[in-house]
Amino acid sequence: MVDPQIPESPRALPATEVLIGRIRWLVRLRWVAVAGSLLFIDLAGRFLPIRLEEPPLLIVLALLASYNLGAELLLARLRRDALARGNGDRGPEQVGRLAHLLLPKTPPGIEYYDRQAAQAAVLASVQIALDLCFLAGLLHFAGGVENPLWVFLVFHVIVASILLSTPATYGVATFGLVLMAVVALGESTGVLPHHSLEGYWLPGLYRDHALVGAQVFLLGVTLFTAAYLATSIAGRLRRREIDVVVLVHHLEKKAEHLEEAFQDVQAAERAKSHYMRKVAHELRVPLGTIKTALNVALRVAPGSMPQQTTDLIHRAERRAGELAEMTRELLSLSLAKRGEAVQEPVPVQLGEVAQAVMEEMDARAVDSGVALSKRIPETLPRISGSPEELADLLRNLVGNAIRYTPSGGSVELRMDVEGDEVMVEVEDTGIGIGEADLPRVFDEFYRSFQARQLVPGGSGLGLPIVKAVVERHGGRIVLESREGKGTCAKVWLPAH
Amino acid sequence: MSNGKKVLLVDDDRDLVDILTLVLEGAAYEVRRAYDGPEALATIERERPDLVILDVMMPEATEGFHVVWNLRRREEPYFRSVPIIMLTAIHRATPLRFYPDAGDGTYGAGEYLDVQGFVDKPVEPDALLKEMERVLAAARGP
Repeated sequence: MVDPQIPESPRALPATEVLIGRIRWLVRLRWVAVAGSLLFIDLAGRFLPIRLEEPPLLIVLALLASYNLGAELLLARLRRDALARGNGDRGPEQVGRLAHLLLPKTPPGIEYYDRQAAQAAVLASVQIALDLCFLAGLLHFAGGVENPLWVFLVFHVIVASILLSTPATYGVATFGLVLMAVVALGESTGVLPHHSLEGYWLPGLYRDHALVGAQVFLLGVTLFTAAYLATSIAGRLRRREIDVVVLVHHLEKKAEHLEEAFQDVQAAERAKSHYMRKVAHELRVPLGTIKTALNVALRVAPGSMPQQTTDLIHRAERRAGELAEMTRELLSLSLAKRGEAVQEPVPVQLGEVAQAVMEEMDARAVDSGVALSKRIPETLPRISGSPEELADLLRNLVGNAIRYTPSGGSVELRMDVEGDEVMVEVEDTGIGIGEADLPRVFDEFYRSFQARQLVPGGSGLGLPIVKAVVERHGGRIVLESREGKGTCAKVWLPAH
Repeated sequence: MSNGKKVLLVDDDRDLVDILTLVLEGAAYEVRRAYDGPEALATIERERPDLVILDVMMPEATEGFHVVWNLRRREEPYFRSVPIIMLTAIHRATPLRFYPDAGDGTYGAGEYLDVQGFVDKPVEPDALLKEMERVLAAARGP
């Protein structure tokens, strides 16, 4: 499915340039023809049993050479103009009707918009017409109808099919045929002098109208067949060219659509994240107040309420706390997943952040009966990023490790320099993650079977937050775990 | 019954202010309340509390911060020294920077807003009371 309305990108110059390039090729070919003719005349005089009248032939060739010199000059000017036109970037100029008739069809979007194209078209047609006349002149002085080289007119037809439109090519074939007919008939009727190609035809045979007619007819058939074949091939090639241009355009359009779709997805992702953030905020405030209210109720409870009531309030308070924690994590995650780089990154001394996080975590470790230790070198390169997010990252890693390590186990936080990265490692002797769960633990809200067994409440957002923060800081994370043995999370962050 | 310490509670969540008032009055503090930034500033000017407990006032606004900045820019020593406790967990959940420039271009842990303490939300009454005692003790100074 191709859009037939192909863009109006003003790629005028390439089409004109291609045309001018082909004319240059024609001019060069003509030099070869001049040289070839000279060589042929010389060789024919030496080795063929024919007699050529050299002086008029040489005069014609000299004229051909000087005409070609003129063509070179004209072409050079045309190229200069075309280049200036290309650089000048004036508005599109429509080529005239004549040029439209002469020029081959172009792929849509590649038009001969400028005057240089029209000039080139006229230049090419005039040259081909002149070439025909020169060939006719040469052949007239070299035997006229007797000369077998009339068939060379085929070359001009082929050249025309490459440079010009199909009608123009048939025009060239017709013009060539008319020229030969004029020469042959003129000579046979005595209007034109006959320069016999002695030794090739029997003398006087050029007056045989039937034979001459047959020759002209054969040439006509040859020329028109050539015109037909050459224009179909050229046409087919041009259609391929058009297909390619259309295809390229089509691909460009597709790429644009993809780009747009991608932008839409990103926008949707941002909107989702924003929504999540909003909801988390709105939930957090009342949840916090509920939890605090229940907490206060419990403080005043002793004695004033039955045990059953305080138990219920306890439960409600704990569940409100879980919810509050979950909204906090949702908020963290939505912030970390905004999909932008860290705003205003600052150099962060990760060791100090770790120190603060470890102090925070100490009480929890003691409560859980887990031995918490750290090995952090005195000096560590700084990391460029957000101290809050990096603290969140460490808090989640260490918090997870403590949460999923049964009493009596240990959790260690290690940091080190590895190349131009800071490596952070949190290793525990906890319950570990099953092989099947390992690839999924970074999925939002996913919790492994073991995790759900050990800790029923839990958001499943800790590791997704860690991953989002790591990614925002241009780092990477690897999780190694053996079920029942423990887990080791390794994070590498690029040093500042 | 008062321990002589006047505390200003600022939060746009009136329920929370009421609940915390119960807790603080239970601990013999004299409580004043305000529900937004301008009201808080006016109350501070009028009542000269010994301690301000300030919510950041989410979701979008950071009115609490503006209260801090407004106070700390003033000439009078009282406004620059009155201890403030911020009620928030946002120093973990948002990218707002709470970490000071340690002087060598390094940001480590610590508070860069000129406040003397933080209490996470949801507020645990015990944690709040403990932090208040700590901050007030520090404010009395050596």
